[in-house]
Order: sequence, then structure tokens, then C-alpha cells
Amino acid sequence: MEVSSSFGPIDIAVSGMQAQNKQIGAISSNVANAQSTDNGDGSPYRRLEAIFKAAGDEIEGVTVDEIAGDMSEFPRILKPGHPDADDQGYVTMPNVDLPIEMINLTVATRAYQANVAVMKRYQRMVESTLELLR
Amino acid sequence: MSEINSIVDFLEAGIKAESLRQKAITNNVANLQTAGYRRIDVRFEQLLAKALDSNGSADLDEIEPDVYQPKQTPVKSNGNDVSLETEVGEMVKNTLRHRAYVGLLKKNYQQIETAINVR
Repeated sequence: MEVSSSFGPIDIAVSGMQAQNKQIGAISSNVANAQSTDNGDGSPYRRLEAIFKAAGDEIEGVTVDEIAGDMSEFPRILKPGHPDADDQGYVTMPNVDLPIEMINLTVATRAYQANVAVMKRYQRMVESTLELLR
Repeated sequence: MSEINSIVDFLEAGIKAESLRQKAITNNVANLQTAGYRRIDVRFEQLLAKALDSNGSADLDEIEPDVYQPKQTPVKSNGNDVSLETEVGEMVKNTLRHRAYVGLLKKNYQQIETAINVR
């Protein structure tokens, strides 16, 4: 006898919430390190982004494939007094753009809320089925 | 308990398992930040299905809900593997199952009551 949980939509909504949670974690790291000129190895902080992947060929929700670094170029600003400045007085800054991070934060928050909405709606659907028992 | 299980016995065992599972979820949420804590879950339906498969009936006194650590979720840096989202999802599922069992139990008693009241 197979035990079916039959609550697939809830598990999928949970996987979406977890994935968006990771994305929000990456965004907060980016915002916090928007001015970090030293990553510990001499180069500035590199912007992070959670890369999502479908969890399987079937209907199985989403997983975070990896937290990937944004390989775009670091901007350089003139700041001769900065300890990390080079010979010409330029400092290599992190490739974090705060407006972009804010937009991404809104997108991730809305996506999280959408997953919560799916879970709530499914809960109500099952509850309406259970109403038939009254 | 007799070998032939009544509906009420099954529902009772199910509700018992659900309340234990609710306890496990509460424990997981309470230990959301506890370093080294691994989330716990309750295994009951699988055990019941296995017993029913082999015997056709089950001694519900024998089959106890089993508390175990699934150890399937990714572990955070502090050795803890509880995710609030997972626990909320489990709680929703648990509540719905619990409601289904209680609803069925109620329906069953209503039928008995109807039978008693027939004149």
C-alpha cells in the first residue's frame, strides 16, 4: 500500500518560499556589502544572485541551483585618500547597484507572497472539501 | 484489541499521530536557532500501511507513531536544519489531516445517533 501525502501544492509552495528566502538573503548580503572594497583577498565584494532550477522533470517545485557571483566589471571611482586606492588614486568598488537590489528585493518579496497566497488558497480548497463532511 | 479494526479505531490512531506530529513541529519551530538541532518528524501512516499490507488488519495498540530525524533538509552553518517555511507547510498539512479525521469521526457518531433515534 502506497501512502500518498496528496498535499503536493503545499510542498511546492514551500519550496518557492524557501527559494525566495535564499534570494532575499543574497540581496541583503549585496546591500550590506555595497561599499566593501576588500573581500579578504584584495578584490572588492562581488554581487551574489541565487540561481533557481526546477526541482525535477515532474511537478516538484523549485530549488536553488547555486548562489552565483555576478561576473560583470567592477566600477572604479577616484578616491585618492582611500587605503585600497591604486597608483592613480582609483578604488575598485563592488559591482552592486543599490536601485537594482531594491527592485530585486521587491520582486523576491512579491514572489514569496505569491507562494504564500498559493498555499493559503490550496488550504481553503481542501477546507471546502472537508465542509462536505458536515 | 480485536483484529478487526473499526473506523473509530483508525480515526483515533490517526488523530493521536497528528497531535504527536503537531508537537514535533512545535519543537522544531522552538529550536529554529538552536545550534546542531536536526528537525524531527513522525512516521505513522507508513507503518500502518505496512502492517495492513502484511496482515490485512493491524493491532493499533502495537503500532506506535515513530519520532525520527529525517536528516534530508540542507544543514545551515550552525548545524541546524530547520526551515520555518517547511514547518509552516507541515503544520498546514497536519491541520488539514486532523480536520479530515475529526470530521469523519463526527460523521460516524452522527450515523450512530441517527440509528438510535429511529422509532
